[in-house]
Amino acid sequence: MAVIDADDVSKRYGSVVALDRVDLTVESGEIFGFLGPNGAGKSTFINTLLDFVKPSQGTLSVFGNDCQRQGVRARSRIGVLPEGYAVFDRLTGRQHVEYAIDAKDAADDPVTVLDRVGIREAADRKAGGYSKGMAQRLVLGMALVGEPDLLILDEPTTGLDPNGAAEIREILREERERGATVFFSSHILEQVEAVCDRVAILQDGELVAVDTIAGLRESLGGGTKLVITPDEFDAGTLTAIRGVEGVETAVAVDETTIEVTCTNDAKMDVLVELNEAGVDVVNFRTEEASLEDMFVEYTGGGR
Amino acid sequence: MTWRAVARHDRRQTRGVRSVRLLLGLLAFVILAAAYVYPIDADDPVTTARFTGYVVGWLTTVVPVVGVMLGYDAVVSDRVSGAMRLTLSLPNGRRDLVLGKLASRAGLLTAVTLVALLGAGFLVVYPFGRLELPRSLAFVAVTVLFAVLWTGIGVAVSMAVATKQRALTAGFGILGLFILLWGQLADLVAIGLEAIGLADGGLPGPVRFLFSLTPGTAFERITRGFLDPASSVGGPWYLSEWVALAVFACWLVAPLGLAFRRFAGSDLA
Repeated sequence: MAVIDADDVSKRYGSVVALDRVDLTVESGEIFGFLGPNGAGKSTFINTLLDFVKPSQGTLSVFGNDCQRQGVRARSRIGVLPEGYAVFDRLTGRQHVEYAIDAKDAADDPVTVLDRVGIREAADRKAGGYSKGMAQRLVLGMALVGEPDLLILDEPTTGLDPNGAAEIREILREERERGATVFFSSHILEQVEAVCDRVAILQDGELVAVDTIAGLRESLGGGTKLVITPDEFDAGTLTAIRGVEGVETAVAVDETTIEVTCTNDAKMDVLVELNEAGVDVVNFRTEEASLEDMFVEYTGGGR
Repeated sequence: MTWRAVARHDRRQTRGVRSVRLLLGLLAFVILAAAYVYPIDADDPVTTARFTGYVVGWLTTVVPVVGVMLGYDAVVSDRVSGAMRLTLSLPNGRRDLVLGKLASRAGLLTAVTLVALLGAGFLVVYPFGRLELPRSLAFVAVTVLFAVLWTGIGVAVSMAVATKQRALTAGFGILGLFILLWGQLADLVAIGLEAIGLADGGLPGPVRFLFSLTPGTAFERITRGFLDPASSVGGPWYLSEWVALAVFACWLVAPLGLAFRRFAGSDLA
């Protein structure tokens, strides 16, 4: 059964198109990563799910409840960590969680919740004095209240150090084990790669790919990455490589290394092309394409 | 029905705030001061029913100020800071949000009004006055509604705009217009009409009706017409206390209703 169902959703601000005909389905029980560079429209999409923003066109539903017309029913089964929130400065962490328990009509113990997100010792301090990372943990705690069937998290690891980010990922896995569906956005790829069953890539408001990580690799024709060290480097070399059939991206990492993603068959062609262009290859090796490479590929970030 | 959760949550944040205490203290002080002065100032007999016509003039000035000041930041400050996103991430609708905020703020004002009027009743009755319970209770009810009405106008302003600055400007604008300017405007029109020979000694009925459309005037008419035995409301039917009751009811619901329609349809992010 579809947990999130977005159908042909667009959002325009004047002449700016923030979301362009997005069709997306998230299935029950998966951890779904919503990827894209900053400004791609990830938060706009999440804000339409939460009815902070009205779509210009199209419909969205969560558990079959229309997000705009039955927003309260839709949100009664969702735990949310929104983008651009602020905590209630005058209230303590404990009071924040109590608010969530009250509004969701749940029976959780505030201290247990705060302990789980790692800020138990700050429970009775005013949240106005929390650091960004602590606030992020607090709001994640509010989202976890009442065992929601779906978690919608907008950049959940913002403001956290790598250890904190790992703790959050562990919580997401626990939530999936419990039976929840997790939908979260990120512009940091390794986080998505580490936990997600499926990912969607959003670019300039358009959905450019929805697949499993393995599937994305597959669609890149084997996803080979060539790491080449030429004897000398000039911009013309990149242009020449990009002209080879089967080459997806060619990026100069620094003045000494070129990274090329291409189909398996094109590997030799690239080397031949370099040879013909009069470039001596000092060294080269091949790697399996990482999600980062695919990301660059899909969003054109390296060109 | 989660507006109760929003109200409890808002009360937790509001009750300790110094400016809120100050405003509520001001209201209580004015009501008690009026009750203290009234037995000395007014003609006999001193009764709580006749006190209504005395205190209403004070209330039409102080209640609007306190109500608008309590309401104007209720919605917009959370909207600007982003805290509203936490409230609306929970299973609260925008209607719950507004109802909860209004209930919390109007509730505070109601509680203080009730206590202050109780104290005022005591000051009027003791030692030489007389208690007239039915009319006094009716007056308490109308005063509470008047407090809710003005908190509602404040909350309506708070819903309709996107910055705190604009909410404050609009709030003061409405107060200035209805409390300071409205009466003078009426005088000015009267002088003008007299100068061109269209009126003689006061405004013609229809123009007076126009100038009586403020919440304060409606409150005053209701008090003088229904509750204070010492005064009455004269003039054509459309200046009667019954029409004032209808005007009062409109002010109670229309600003909130219109502002909510705007708020409900707007993007918050």
